[in-house]
Amino acid sequence: HVITFNDVLEAKQNIINESYITPVMTSTIINKISQYDVHFKCELFQRTGSFKFRGMFNLATNHRRDFIDRPVVIASSGNAGQSLALACKLHKIPCHVVMPETATPTKREAVLGYGALVTNCTDSEKGRTDAANAVVEESNGAIRLVSPSQTPDVIAGAGTITLELIDQIANLQAIIVPVGGGGMIAGIALAAKHLNPKIKIIGAEPAEADDCYQSKLNNRRTPLNKTPITVADALRTSIGENTWPIIRDCVDDVVIVGEEEIKIATKLIWHTMKLMIEPSSGVGVAALLSNQLKTMLPIGSSVSVILCGGNVNLDKLDWLTQTNVDIQSLIGTIASNDGGF
Amino acid sequence: MILTLGFSIPLRAYRRYYATQSQMAMNNYVINYESIKDAERNIKDVANVTPVLTSSIIDKVSGFQLHFKCELFQRTGSFKFRGMYNEVFNHKKTNGTQPMVIHSSGNAGQALALASRLHDIPCHVVMPTVAIPCKRNAVIGYGAIIADCQDSESSREEVAQSIVDRFDGKVRLTSPSQSPDVIAGAGTIATEFIEQVPTLDVIIVPVGGGGMISGIAVACKHLNPKVKIIAAEPALADDCYQSKLNNRRTPLTKTPITIADALRTSIGPNTWPIIRDFVNDVITVTDDQIKSATRLVWQTMKLTIEPSSGVGVAVAIGDQLKNIIEPNAVVGVILCGGNVSLEHLDWLKDD
Repeated sequence: HVITFNDVLEAKQNIINESYITPVMTSTIINKISQYDVHFKCELFQRTGSFKFRGMFNLATNHRRDFIDRPVVIASSGNAGQSLALACKLHKIPCHVVMPETATPTKREAVLGYGALVTNCTDSEKGRTDAANAVVEESNGAIRLVSPSQTPDVIAGAGTITLELIDQIANLQAIIVPVGGGGMIAGIALAAKHLNPKIKIIGAEPAEADDCYQSKLNNRRTPLNKTPITVADALRTSIGENTWPIIRDCVDDVVIVGEEEIKIATKLIWHTMKLMIEPSSGVGVAALLSNQLKTMLPIGSSVSVILCGGNVNLDKLDWLTQTNVDIQSLIGTIASNDGGF
Repeated sequence: MILTLGFSIPLRAYRRYYATQSQMAMNNYVINYESIKDAERNIKDVANVTPVLTSSIIDKVSGFQLHFKCELFQRTGSFKFRGMYNEVFNHKKTNGTQPMVIHSSGNAGQALALASRLHDIPCHVVMPTVAIPCKRNAVIGYGAIIADCQDSESSREEVAQSIVDRFDGKVRLTSPSQSPDVIAGAGTIATEFIEQVPTLDVIIVPVGGGGMISGIAVACKHLNPKVKIIAAEPALADDCYQSKLNNRRTPLTKTPITIADALRTSIGPNTWPIIRDFVNDVITVTDDQIKSATRLVWQTMKLTIEPSSGVGVAVAIGDQLKNIIEPNAVVGVILCGGNVSLEHLDWLKDD
C-alpha cells in the first residue's frame, strides 16, 4: 500500500491548524427511513467546501518541506483544484489548475481567487490528464504533477476523517464512502482497519461509473473505458493504481446506485437536514437507503455516511426538480405509517 | 468580556426606549424570564440544542465576527418548534386532550402539528388552499388536519373560529407569534446562544409577528443587558420599523409581497411592548439584498436557509450595521428556518 497508518497520523499533525474538525449530524427522519443509526460526517463544511482540503493541505505541507516553492499542477474539474489552490496559497507554492471550460463558474472563480493559474482543457479524463502532462513537459519537469486521488499525501489526508469519526462516534460499525478515484475511501479504509478491523467499509458508486464495483467483482482493477455521464460529477474518475490495492484489501463491499436514486437522496438531505450537499455526496446517501446495503449490514447498525462536499452550481439546479418523487410526500407517508418522529 | 459602547449615533429621528429596572417592574409584559426558564425545562431533550456555525468568508464580507445560530436544524425545520412544544406541553397539563388550532401557512403550523402529535393531541391547521403543496404535505405528514380557507386574514380567522365553535370552545386556539408560551419558547434560543457564545455583543433577529425577537429580548435583558438586540425586517413589510419610528404599533394595512414569506405578519399587541422597550434598533433590507444574502449562505456555508433567514444575514453584511455597533463586536445572527420549497428556486439564481 502506498501509505501506512503513520502517514495518516502525520497528516493529522500537518493539517491540524488549517483544517476543520467537521461536525457529525444525525436525523430522526433519516434513521426511520433508512432503519440504521446514521451519523453524517459533514465534510461539506470543510474548507473549500469538500473533504479534499485535508489531502491537499497535507500534500502542500510536505511539498514545502521537501521542494520549497517548486510549482505544482493538478487536473481537476472542481473540488481538488479548489483545495489545492487554497493549500498552495497558504504555503506560498505556485499552483496551476487544469480545468475543463465547462466547469462551474464559481469553482473557476474560487481557484483564481486563491491565486492559482488556470489552464483550459476538454472535459474528459484523457483531456485533463493530457493537458496537465503538457504543463509538466513544458517546464521540463520543474513543475510537479499532483493527482486528485492517487498522490499518497492526498490519500493520507483523507484518512484523517477516520481519526475524527472514531472520536466522535461511539461503537461505529460501518462507514459509507462515495468513490471516484478512490482517494477518500482508501485513506478512510486503511485508517479504519488499523484502528478497528471490525468496522465495515462500504463504497458507494454511481451505476453509470461503476469501475470500483467491477474491479472488486473481477478482483482486478477495471477502469471505465469512456467518460461516464452522471449527475455525480465529482465521481467520474476511475480508481487508480495507488488506490486499487487498498480498496482491494480494505473495502468490504461496494453499493451501486442509479441516477434517480442519487437525485432523490440528495434532495432528501436538502429537504430534511437543510444541508446543501452536492449530488456526489448524495451517492453515499442513496447507498444508505438501498436494498443492497441491507444484505451487507444488519439493520439498526451504527453507520457513518461521509457527506463529502457541498459545491453545487446554484444556476444549474434542473436535476433537483427532475425527480418524479415528491420528497415531502415520501416523508409524509413514512411519518403516517409510524408512531411519530 | 462585556463590551461597553462609548458612543451612540442616533440613526433615525426616533427616541429609543431602554427599559429601566423600574419600567420592567411597572410594565406587564406577557412573559418574564421565569416563563423562559419554564419553557427550557418543558422542551428539554425534545427540542434540539442547535449548533452555532461560523464562516470566515462571510466574516470578511460583513466586517464582523459572526456566529450563526442554526435554528434551521430545529425539529420541523424552524425555531417555531420550541414555542409550539412549550405551548402544547402546558396545554396538556391543564386541558387534557383538547385539540390545538392555529392558522398558519407555514412553519408555525408544521411545528404545532408535530408538537401536538408528540402529546397525542389532535391538531387543526387552517391554511389557504393556495399554499404550496410541500407546506400542506408537511403539515399532513406531521399528523395534523388541514382546514382550508381563502388567502386573506379574515377568511383565516373565520375558519379558525368555525373550528372553535364546532368543538364548543373546547379547543386551544393559538397564535404563531402572540401566545405567551410561544414567545417564552423562542426565548430558549437566547439562553442556549449566550451559553454557547458568552462574548456576544449583538444579536440580529428577523422579525415578522415578533414572537422570536420578544422571547430573545426578554432572555437577554435578564442574562446580559448589554447585548444589543437588532431587528431585521424586509423593507416591504416594515411594520416593526414604522412602529418604532412612531412609538406606536403600526401594523401593515395589507398583506405584503416579499420573498421573505415567513415575515409577512405584523407585530402584535403582545410582542409590541417588548419590542418597544427592549429592541435597540430595526434595520430593513430590500428583497434583492435578502436574495443575495440567502444565496451567499447557501453557496459558502452549504446551509439551505429560507429567505426569511436571509433577512438577518442581509443586515449582518449590509452597510447600516456598521453605524450602530462597534467594529470588533461579536455578532449573533439567528438562522430561523430552512423550510424552502425545492420546486420553486428561481429566486436563488444569480441575476
